[in-house]
Amino acid sequence: MVERLLNLFWILLGSAAAWQSWKLGLRGPSGPESGLFPFIASCGIAVLGLSLMLARASRVAQPQWPDARAGLRTVGVALGIALMAFGMDRLGFVVSAAIAMPVLLRTIDRASWLETLILTVGSIAAIVLVFGKLLGMPLPRGPWGW
Amino acid sequence: MDALSGLAMGFSVMLTPANLYFCFLGSLIGTMVGVLPGLGPLAALALLLPVTFTLSPIAGLAMLAAIFYGAMYGGSTTSILVNIPGEAASVITCLDGHQMARQGRAGAALGMAALGSFIAGTLSLIVLTFFAPALAAIAIRFGPPENFGLMALGLVCTLFMITGSKLKGLLMIALGFLLSSVGMDMVNGNERFTFGVTDLTAGIELLAVVIGLFGISEILLNVESVAKNSLVADRIKKLIPTWADWKASFAPILRGSGLGFLLGIVPGGGPITASFMSYAMERRIAREPERFGKGAIEGVAGPESANNAAVAGSMIPLLSLGIPSNPITALLLGALIIQGIQPGPLFITQRPDLFWGVIAAMYIGNVMLLVLNLPLIGLWVQMLRIPYRFLFPLIVLLAMVGTYSANKNVFDLWMMLGFGLLGWLLRKLEYDIAPFVLAFVLAPLLEQSLRQSMTMSVDGAMILFQRPVSAGLVAASALLLVLMVIRQFKRKRGDS
Repeated sequence: MVERLLNLFWILLGSAAAWQSWKLGLRGPSGPESGLFPFIASCGIAVLGLSLMLARASRVAQPQWPDARAGLRTVGVALGIALMAFGMDRLGFVVSAAIAMPVLLRTIDRASWLETLILTVGSIAAIVLVFGKLLGMPLPRGPWGW
Repeated sequence: MDALSGLAMGFSVMLTPANLYFCFLGSLIGTMVGVLPGLGPLAALALLLPVTFTLSPIAGLAMLAAIFYGAMYGGSTTSILVNIPGEAASVITCLDGHQMARQGRAGAALGMAALGSFIAGTLSLIVLTFFAPALAAIAIRFGPPENFGLMALGLVCTLFMITGSKLKGLLMIALGFLLSSVGMDMVNGNERFTFGVTDLTAGIELLAVVIGLFGISEILLNVESVAKNSLVADRIKKLIPTWADWKASFAPILRGSGLGFLLGIVPGGGPITASFMSYAMERRIAREPERFGKGAIEGVAGPESANNAAVAGSMIPLLSLGIPSNPITALLLGALIIQGIQPGPLFITQRPDLFWGVIAAMYIGNVMLLVLNLPLIGLWVQMLRIPYRFLFPLIVLLAMVGTYSANKNVFDLWMMLGFGLLGWLLRKLEYDIAPFVLAFVLAPLLEQSLRQSMTMSVDGAMILFQRPVSAGLVAASALLLVLMVIRQFKRKRGDS
């Protein structure tokens, strides 16, 4: 089911991108225009998506999808990354990492609260020290200046 | 000045405690960067660039160059032991290196990767030393048609390395082509597929793509069963490869050295392309290609040699022509310009101390890296021994800082997450994602060189066949394509 949906997505993506590429122009007076290469690639995606939809041989017999608990861990990691990406500009690196790290540590393997605290503080301090201070990389700061 | 006296001058410049210290520091940081997934050499060089401003030009350049090839050495360790590429050029080492580790041959894989890198690095440095002016003259003759021929050959080679469904592999190449076209068209400035999003104008960041597709997706797959730790390090023994390993790897090391060196010289080549093409070549000429992907040592020796040889190769256009052939050498060029030095044809004659000093630094760094990689392998393994439940969040944090460091843009983090989720789904459905990355890297160069060729031609596409080098490369690509179709046809007939 998921594979069929993905194949359908390829067909739609390829068709939409081919239409966009066509609008960019395929050929100009001095040769290929901006749209030619993406047009070829888009048509390829649409045709290959259609071929995959029709070809049974290319389908995965039994995809190994995660069970509920494993799925929760996968979602937890994605959520941790999303939280940090969302917070980096708004809250700064330190606070967004302090929110994301416990989410990651607790969802991956239920680290104890003490381990979570030590690892969160330790890893953030190490990154701020190495990247922020020693290497002078400007890590994003929150409204409170750090 | 002849090469030997130039090299002697280079060693006299480099052999001071301060210069040796910074060369060692660069090798150490480079190896660490290579070992730790999520932080590639480009990000590390970008981060350390401000540090070198306070150093002398030779110390700064020696340190940055050492980070570059140190990362090439170190990248294989994580690929082999954890199946996560430490940096993009080690993606291909995951295929056979990790399988070797799973079969209890991690020591042989690590040893061959380090020794192959050392041999390739030294061989290519010798070539660089003696033939730099001649090779630079060849590279400078490469115009857009020749570059197109080379890129076309690279893409055809990609077809050979598709594992699993060919349809899915081809779709990944097409997707790589399409996504690489996002952003501003470098030929005429038109925006493509940006939909008004300013962050997309500069295109999709390669670092976000690579870290997302390979690093984050690997973590997402592995957290499904935390008990299963794919760090294969408990049986590391016999780092010195056996006679049989040497016998199998000797020719791939030599081929990888030659291929990597040549690909390093030409624009768009570099370590990533070199490692992928070396793997494709080894698989193509192997008597038993089905062994590849299942722990063939040639699949480690060839690409690891190629990516190290490419580092020396990429120094030729940088130092002798002032032309960066990949993003990392572009950063090194920036470092030189900031130091008030303009690399170019006059660089060798005007600043022989610096030119030969950098080459001497690479010889010294190559030896330092062998020492760091073989006897200290235990230290790197210890770094990777940290339990996954602690290692994963740390890798995620490092991956995020590394991705952010490229452009200081949070948008890249969303891209990284998006590609991580896409990679997770594609790997579940048995898509081979490595061809996507090569297509993503090669497609802009292929497109640009073809369009430039067409612009400079009065006969349209015929220009590709009017120049001997480009004609030869295009013909070789066509021949390989025909061979692949015939092989597929024969295989299908055999199956039926």
